[in-house]
Amino acid sequence: MDFILSIMVFTSITVIAVTGIFVISGLTGLFSLGQAAFMAIGAYVAGVLAVNYHLSFPVAGFVAVLVGLLAGAIVGLPAIRLRRDYIALATFGFGEAIAALLNQSVSITGGAMGLSGIPKKTGIELAVISALICIFIVRNFKYSKFGRQCIALREDELAAKSMGINVTRVKMVAFLLSAAITAYAGVLYAFYTTYVEPAMFVWTKSAEWIIIIYFGGINSLTGAVFAGILLTSLPEVLRFAAEWRVVIYCIVVIFILNFRPSGVFGEYELSFNWFRKWWKHLKEKKGVMR
Amino acid sequence: MNVLEVRGISKSFGGVKAVTDFSMTMKENDIIGVIGPNGAGKTTIFNVISGVYKQDSGQIFLGENDITNKEQHERARLGVARTFQNIRLFKGLSLLENVSAALDPTARYNIFHNILLSRKMRMEEKRIKEESERFLELVGLLKYQAEKPENLSYGYQRKLEIARALAIKPKVLLLDEPAAGLNPKEVVDLINLIRKISQDLDLSILIIEHRMEVIMELCRFIYVQNFGKTIAYGTPKEIQENEEVIKAYLGEED
Repeated sequence: MDFILSIMVFTSITVIAVTGIFVISGLTGLFSLGQAAFMAIGAYVAGVLAVNYHLSFPVAGFVAVLVGLLAGAIVGLPAIRLRRDYIALATFGFGEAIAALLNQSVSITGGAMGLSGIPKKTGIELAVISALICIFIVRNFKYSKFGRQCIALREDELAAKSMGINVTRVKMVAFLLSAAITAYAGVLYAFYTTYVEPAMFVWTKSAEWIIIIYFGGINSLTGAVFAGILLTSLPEVLRFAAEWRVVIYCIVVIFILNFRPSGVFGEYELSFNWFRKWWKHLKEKKGVMR
Repeated sequence: MNVLEVRGISKSFGGVKAVTDFSMTMKENDIIGVIGPNGAGKTTIFNVISGVYKQDSGQIFLGENDITNKEQHERARLGVARTFQNIRLFKGLSLLENVSAALDPTARYNIFHNILLSRKMRMEEKRIKEESERFLELVGLLKYQAEKPENLSYGYQRKLEIARALAIKPKVLLLDEPAAGLNPKEVVDLINLIRKISQDLDLSILIIEHRMEVIMELCRFIYVQNFGKTIAYGTPKEIQENEEVIKAYLGEED
């Protein structure tokens, strides 16, 4: 049971991070290969504040998200003015720099040994509720002027500008929202595992998240969440297959990207309306049976 | 008062002088045409006016505003709208959302209103939706509002682009070859549509077009470009009889 619970917590945390990267790499179409660094910032800032300064969990978490936002502003301001492909490089460099910084500042972060002794505060309830709230926030973002402008500039930046869309500003809003959400995922992570080390937050993590959103479909939040759940729990569920599980994971991903390039869900979104219809349909069926 | 005034703009790419010393003025409710052979620099004029390229010299005024050094999106907000020669719609968005995206920069709510789904946000979203529907209705595409633009015929895509451009409530609308690729019936439709919007919406229109029936039907005044220079300007009748223009289009007799 503990094992399943821990999978659920990790999956929820991944889902949060994925909703974050969905905003910037899915909707806005900017590859952020340094996204894991925001998770690292969230995890380390909150962790250090809790361990060295004995701040309570909510305060440490709140400060950590703010620092994540600040870091997002510092990296974002120059980076989003670059051409698309260079944004991937710039964020990649930022991510690796943060990992290196964490490795080097031994006196504060414990360096490669990691930071341990963080109190365990994240439980299954907090993780799942947080994930649901993040999904709600990103859903609202997608169906608003922000979401539409993000998709518009992703599809055609020149046309977006000529419609009066302030491309730099919209990209910045998306970048900051994504940084804050990802930093929050880091906070939950640190307070669940009680131990963090820099190697967890290198670019492979960011790349994994990008794979997840492409797997689910870059236009579909439902897809991103579904893929986040599936691809995080799949390696755990396949644990019996020992080293083959990575191979199976990769094959699944390759098959999807090859045969369904728009992702599993494409443009499809699960909505409350859909549930309502389904519920109505079910009720009617029951009525007939009576 | 001139709605748009262009004073001697020039633009070169490397050694190629795409536009040399182009000037024009537009009055209210004006329809003006720019014609000329391929490569005459017509689209470059549009790109300079709408701010895609920075001009090498010259000035541009929109009403009383000097927009010479304004960014592309600022010019759009001030009232310069355009369509593109090769249609550029937003593929990931529905027809309605394509038009809404042009209205979104005017929506007055911020990210916190958005996250909390506040009343202010819902009111603004409602306004944008209603206005978008009105513009789709205007070009006759309201019944396809939930479709994706790539599923539309070429003629409808052109109309959607015009609806999207109108949504920013422009003072000046730049149409870059709106009739390209349309069949004769669609061309007649388009002429009627352009006439309708110029009358109903109180805006001035600048058209680049190769289909002479469009230009001659609609335009009060025409500028003829060749190799980046204005070789003639005048009313449709004057242009039709102009020797220089005939030479540029048909070549010279030996």
